[in-house]
Amino acid sequence: MSLGTAITVCAEADEALPLMGRAPAFALTTQDGTRLTLDDLRGKVVAVTFIYTSCADTCPILTTKMAVLQARLGGDFGQRVFFASITVDPERDTPAALKSYAVRHGADLRGWVFLTGTPAEIRQIAKRYGVYHQKLARGNVDHTFLTSLVDSSGILRVQYLGVRFDPDEMLRDLQSLVREGQAADAVRSQR
Amino acid sequence: MLQTRREFVTMLTMAGASDALGLEARSAAADAPPEIKKIRLVRIPGICIAPQYVAEDLLRTEGFTDVSYIQTPAGIEASRAVALGDADFTIIFSAPVILNIEAGAPVVLLGGVHVGCFELFATERVHSIRDLKGKRVAVQSLQSSQHIFLSSMAAYVGLDPGKDINWATYPSAESIRLLAEGKIDAFLAFPPEAQELRARKIGHVVVNSGADRPWSQYLCCMLAGNREFVRKNPIATKRVLRAILKASDLCALEPERSARTVIEKGYATNYEYALQTMRDVTYGKWRQYNPEDTVRFYALRLHEAGMIKSSPQKIVGQASDLRFFKELRQELKN
Repeated sequence: MSLGTAITVCAEADEALPLMGRAPAFALTTQDGTRLTLDDLRGKVVAVTFIYTSCADTCPILTTKMAVLQARLGGDFGQRVFFASITVDPERDTPAALKSYAVRHGADLRGWVFLTGTPAEIRQIAKRYGVYHQKLARGNVDHTFLTSLVDSSGILRVQYLGVRFDPDEMLRDLQSLVREGQAADAVRSQR
Repeated sequence: MLQTRREFVTMLTMAGASDALGLEARSAAADAPPEIKKIRLVRIPGICIAPQYVAEDLLRTEGFTDVSYIQTPAGIEASRAVALGDADFTIIFSAPVILNIEAGAPVVLLGGVHVGCFELFATERVHSIRDLKGKRVAVQSLQSSQHIFLSSMAAYVGLDPGKDINWATYPSAESIRLLAEGKIDAFLAFPPEAQELRARKIGHVVVNSGADRPWSQYLCCMLAGNREFVRKNPIATKRVLRAILKASDLCALEPERSARTVIEKGYATNYEYALQTMRDVTYGKWRQYNPEDTVRFYALRLHEAGMIKSSPQKIVGQASDLRFFKELRQELKN
């Protein structure tokens, strides 16, 4: 049997993304010091990630990848797609620290929010998304890199583990969720 | 934005289809908690099934409040424990499950977790599988995963594993000592034994199932479940599989933390061997392999070895329930 037969590469890109269940809710503090809930973003497709601002190696890779995606989303970014980066180092990541990080990475804050909260709030949210995080020596935080896409109805649709995911694939998934949301809006407006 | 009539009709059709499929109902179903909060898994001496241990916290996130283990040897005994209902799930090499299924055991394979973790170590008297003819080969027990896997390999190159190999059964530590002393000719190791043999420079690797074809082209360990549990508890089953597959990704993406978890939870004692296991075993690539092909491949090998009588097609039909695996391949990306 050939390698081609034995190894089947998943080819389900055109199918609608599955429904994983309601996305875990959150109510946190933005880089501007205001409170924001996941419900406030209802009607938009939301990409939820976990980072911390003093992370020297992997978080910048993820944030840079997201920054490239924000540009590729064009007019949908901010209007129909929103990014939410939640810190896993709430003791040090004040709203000001998050804002500085956002600026350093070219985040367009019209469609991207950086969130912090009390350690208890962050612990609870990280746990509900399945993100492990633990403070290490010298202030580093060991944590799971997990990006979750939430549709415009607040349903968790797909999760990307790690930072090596294909940005083209994530772009396709975001755009398919946008189209799905638009279609649902169109039906609602005709009723 | 201006919209053509055609675009509007397309969108209406999409939305109508979504409604017809019961989007909200499906969403509610996906949201439903597991039917049962307690699950029982099998613990074996090896740590190639590390995703099962790394998954413990994820299982709690999935709604399970009581995660317990029963200890068995690796192989047919682990599969039997699931079939008998002593455990609900285990990560296990697929071949022993195929043997159980042919015997009518109510166990089912739910999806692939990782590719090969077996390595055949031997003395200088053995340089190929064919060289095993007439040699003394150690396994933990007959019908252990090692015995079944090595029998498959032997049959693949034309040996009769029942007649051509002198099987000796020893605990792994004893096999390692005997291999070092040259008192056995070969030993099929799996993590962390392979890592220990390499570190201690005992023997040499004849076959690495994670790197050498054809073995490396197929899944090694899969998640097996008790058929009745899976039938009664589909939501719990999908949630268990999701936690295990995420954990397989984590073993690949975060090897240091995964190794620490395995050590801290007491599933292994040597951190270096555990870390090497995370790096050696092909975790995180379960999306790329077809579980049905794996079942067919090993059913053929076991048929060649005279260990099963059923046709591979019949085994494939009986052995697997991949509906959750197919859904999760779309939900979890990396």
